[in-house]
Amino acid sequence: MPGTILDGKKLSAEIREELKGRVAKLKEKGITPGIAGILVGEDPGSASYIGLKEKASEELGISSRMVRLPQNTKQEDLLKEIEHLNEDPMIHGIFIQLPLPGHLDENKALNAVLPEKDVDGFHPVNVGKAWMGQESFLPATPTGIWEMLVRYRYSDLKDKEVVIVNVDSLVGKPLASILAQEKVGANVTLCQPSTPNLSSYTRRADVVVVSVNKPKFLIADMVKQGVIAIDFGSNWIDDPASKTGKRTVGDIDFEPVKEKAEAITPVPGGLGPMTVTMLLVNTVVAAERRAERMRK
Amino acid sequence: MPAEIIDGRKIADDIRGELKQRVEKLKGKGVTPKLVAILVGEDPAALSYLRGIAKGCEAVGILTDTVKLPANAPQEELERTIGELNKDPKCHGIILQLPLPKHLNTLRAESAISPDKDVDGTNPVNAGKLLLGEETFFPSTPYGVQELLVRSGHSPEGKHVVICGRSNIVGKPLMGILVQKQKGANATVTVCHTGTKDLASIARQADILVAAMGKAKAITADMVKMGAIVVDVGVNQIEDPANPGKFRLAGDVDFEAVKEKAGAITPVPGGTGPVTSALLVANTVKAAEKMSGP
Repeated sequence: MPGTILDGKKLSAEIREELKGRVAKLKEKGITPGIAGILVGEDPGSASYIGLKEKASEELGISSRMVRLPQNTKQEDLLKEIEHLNEDPMIHGIFIQLPLPGHLDENKALNAVLPEKDVDGFHPVNVGKAWMGQESFLPATPTGIWEMLVRYRYSDLKDKEVVIVNVDSLVGKPLASILAQEKVGANVTLCQPSTPNLSSYTRRADVVVVSVNKPKFLIADMVKQGVIAIDFGSNWIDDPASKTGKRTVGDIDFEPVKEKAEAITPVPGGLGPMTVTMLLVNTVVAAERRAERMRK
Repeated sequence: MPAEIIDGRKIADDIRGELKQRVEKLKGKGVTPKLVAILVGEDPAALSYLRGIAKGCEAVGILTDTVKLPANAPQEELERTIGELNKDPKCHGIILQLPLPKHLNTLRAESAISPDKDVDGTNPVNAGKLLLGEETFFPSTPYGVQELLVRSGHSPEGKHVVICGRSNIVGKPLMGILVQKQKGANATVTVCHTGTKDLASIARQADILVAAMGKAKAITADMVKMGAIVVDVGVNQIEDPANPGKFRLAGDVDFEAVKEKAGAITPVPGGTGPVTSALLVANTVKAAEKMSGP
């Protein structure tokens, strides 16, 4: 029997409906959640992505302020802009659209965001706190994966083996941060894409997560029967059947792996739609935490 | 064939030998590195640990001090003490002896230590930088495991490291250190929780097995692959069968049995412990170098 499709579009719509309720509750208390984003330069991909975030915020009643700075912005001016947003009580969440132009110091910019407004979860304090199991913010991809596992009732991972093929700071490490905590209880392996004999790890996995950006990287022979397979790859491949001649696929050889899996994320329509939503969840959480602090 | 015994004392001596030269250089600039420990209460085990640290500092010519606060000291007093040390230009490294008495908030206290003086890497900022692969101070125990492996010729690069135990002071930071795409790291790393059902089957996959569970003889020979490198971080007081009523130190590994199977193994005592102490001193020297500029 083919595996359950983990439908990110449907989940994302569901979560956004719930967020509307939480936003309305905050508004009753006189707080309108506010998100601010900073875009430097005119990279079309980044510009369209920040537009998506803006539109999604407004649909939920979150006020949004997207700051668009010219390509040649100086480091100090970027920092000043971040400082303004840090101080602005109407703004609860701040993100910086990456990558920044080469002349700017990305770490310095990310470290300048006030940790309680750092809804991307990139500030070292938030990274460290999450790793130590303390309240913080985590990036959208790992939280999206976790939310998906929770809502499809696959989050009871005690004694389970989770294998993550990706060790970067946006996916692998923060996902390990969630899953290696005592309360989750999973045994977590972080694999490099270069790990020798990778299939000896993935074949043991109860949950396998791949993000390497190589089509058909994870094939059916590399997973065990009943695996939960999560794909955060995104690859443009040729497809003569489509109008544009191209289509997007993930890192998993979808059809054959689906036959063996208990559950699997499609690409597109899996994790992709979750990421913007999780940024908005973090923003609402930031506003709720602020309301809580004001109450005390 | 019994395993190679990795001599942590010898590695620690090598590290201290290198440090002496760096300390001399600093002294030439008029800077003598200083490590200050904060101890709340009068735990005898902590006092003896700190005496050991002080000896290691003296051996390379750096200063140490212990600030003792009463067991009932309020949070504000602890944080004020930390704040004063943060400002003291003669103090380069601060360690907070744990555990703190129950009425105190450990996270808040650790967060109060200046990241530039946080030589045990416990401030969340430094924990985060470690995970992100940025320049920071590594907590001395996981740092010790890495140094011990590299210096004994068993670099974790490209190897499968299984860490049994995932505390915030050993297991988790060690995973963070070893997955970085850097020299002496770049490993495939599994972190297990100690109570997991089939720990043996996971442990047997390891090229390098790290025991950090805090339980004597938790790692038995059947959990070790033939030829694996076994690193024992455990420190347990167990009754000495040769001297009933007396206690001795033992690690988490069933040493006698495992050494027949392992390729190399660290003893307890004399394994990771001495390397860890030497690296706390190394971090203090590094902090002094950074503060005194080029």
